[in-house]
Amino acid sequence: MGVIEVDNVVTRFGEQPVHAGVNFSISAGTLVALIGGSGSGKSVLLREMIGLLRPDAGTVRVLGTDMWGDTEEEVDAVRRQIGVLFQDGALWSSLTVAQNVAAPMREHQKLPPPVVRAQVRLRLAQAGLPLSAATKLPSELSGGMRKRAALARALALEPQILFLDEPTSGLDPITARAFDTMVRGLVDDLGITVFIVTHDLDTLLGAVDRVIVLAQGRVRADGPVREVMHVDDPWVRSYFAVRTMLEGGDDGG
Amino acid sequence: MPANPRPTASRWCALETDPSGRARLSLRGAWHLPDLAAIQRALGAQSIPPRVIVSGADLESIDTSAAWMLAEALRAAGVAPRKVELQDFEAAPRRVLERVFELGEGSQTLPRRKRLGALAQFGKSAVEVGHTCAGHVTFLGETMLALLELLRHPGRLRLKELTVQFEQTGINAIPVVALVTLLIGIVIAYLLGLQAEKYGANLFVVDGVGIGATREFAPIIVAVIVAGRSGAAFTAQLGAMRLGEEIDAIRTLGLSPQQVLVVPRVLALMLSLPLLVFLGDVMSILGALWIAEPMLDITPDTFLARLREALSVRHVVVGLVKAPVFAFFIALIGTRMGMTVGRDTRAVGLATTSTVVQSIVAVILLDALFAIIFQRLGI
Repeated sequence: MGVIEVDNVVTRFGEQPVHAGVNFSISAGTLVALIGGSGSGKSVLLREMIGLLRPDAGTVRVLGTDMWGDTEEEVDAVRRQIGVLFQDGALWSSLTVAQNVAAPMREHQKLPPPVVRAQVRLRLAQAGLPLSAATKLPSELSGGMRKRAALARALALEPQILFLDEPTSGLDPITARAFDTMVRGLVDDLGITVFIVTHDLDTLLGAVDRVIVLAQGRVRADGPVREVMHVDDPWVRSYFAVRTMLEGGDDGG
Repeated sequence: MPANPRPTASRWCALETDPSGRARLSLRGAWHLPDLAAIQRALGAQSIPPRVIVSGADLESIDTSAAWMLAEALRAAGVAPRKVELQDFEAAPRRVLERVFELGEGSQTLPRRKRLGALAQFGKSAVEVGHTCAGHVTFLGETMLALLELLRHPGRLRLKELTVQFEQTGINAIPVVALVTLLIGIVIAYLLGLQAEKYGANLFVVDGVGIGATREFAPIIVAVIVAGRSGAAFTAQLGAMRLGEEIDAIRTLGLSPQQVLVVPRVLALMLSLPLLVFLGDVMSILGALWIAEPMLDITPDTFLARLREALSVRHVVVGLVKAPVFAFFIALIGTRMGMTVGRDTRAVGLATTSTVVQSIVAVILLDALFAIIFQRLGI
């Protein structure tokens, strides 16, 4: 059984159908990406998986807990074992970076202040942030730094699963690739399961174990990138067309 | 051997001497986040010698947080974690340790945000207030120029925006203004009536309410309500627009944000506030009229007759003349705070709060100024 089980999830916004029965299962220690066109319900699915939005039908199990069927205590216990990186970081704007990273530990663990401070240093180093960023407010950081700070916060409670919502959007390619490498390291060295919602082709080709394509409310393709690229689906074909074109050009030149 | 440490042990780790005579720190049990405090104490109790090797033979598992505590303890003992020999570790814990030991150089302390002393904070605040006031004066000038431009080219007035703002700041404020001023009228009449009854001067309550409400209470109270309602709304609207770079988009179209956003709001508020104040005059007198009969035995007819004698038009005019001036400054502060807000959501909230405080202070200062002027003029 996988650490994440999405079973027949159906979502409607009023009359408008979003998911018409989405199924997949993710096993521990893998880096899985969810792709799909704008408005295909990727972020909605993510919100359903982390227990923020109730699907109209179907179940989502994370670490064996039914996020919408089990008791609030059980779901809260799961929430302490997952880390979420929201699209724009969602750092608390009145707290410094260090206070943001320390907040989950302060709320859920009884740790003495020196230990908390040491842990903040660890998470900042893991996310690739300099110590000087610790005293800054989120508004004083660049977009890339904000994402790193948010990742540091997401890692604070040693999560088993990380959910990342478009982690590389708005970053320059160099920063984005460094981010990919960092996430890959979390999977390879620490055995964390990572679920990414992304649009970034380079992330898909460089770092991801498996791609799930969401279109017309269903999973259209599911597997390693090289296989998914050649699936016979119009959306998938045009999605990867740019890349195939570029690579073809390289071979020719 | 004197070079070797005295063997010490705890639930979490033990310092011992290995067969070849080297010091060995042997980790025990499962090292995880919830036990971090105990692990840190256990590590702190060991005096780790410089040339130590770390053994994982008795270690069940370890996470990054615990591995970091070990790295910190090693650094504190003057050992570079990266160079430490790891002995008898299983693959997974070894990877975690190696990964964590690569992070961070030396035992650095986390910097803390500098706090200013009381005096420095006072000075900083004073300078900020000065900057804000100077900014307001600049903004006042810009708005005046935009208004002058409008005199020369009346076609540039954005009528649609003006009507929308008039609806929001004026018409939509009618219920709350009516309710509050009605209650104020009742309260003034009641309090005055308690005193007046003692001297049998019941009828003078009408003088008090008539003059007091139209000249002072209605303008001030309505202006405070509008400052809280519309001044704050202006800052929030323009602040949100600035966050979304909408104001920059207006500028890049070659339009003046002053003309598009500020002037319609200023004019709308200057139109609506006098009307609201007039409504306030009427409602507070109605409130007094309402309570006059049951409490003071003044019939509505008597009340109105007395009102006609006691309340000369100039008192009402004084109140209504103040209203557009209040409105001008409330709108000016509200739009200015919104246009210059910092580019994050928290700043919009702070600016909105600040607008309300500034507008209310401005209204009361202006009212005091008016009182002096009118007194000198003998009005």
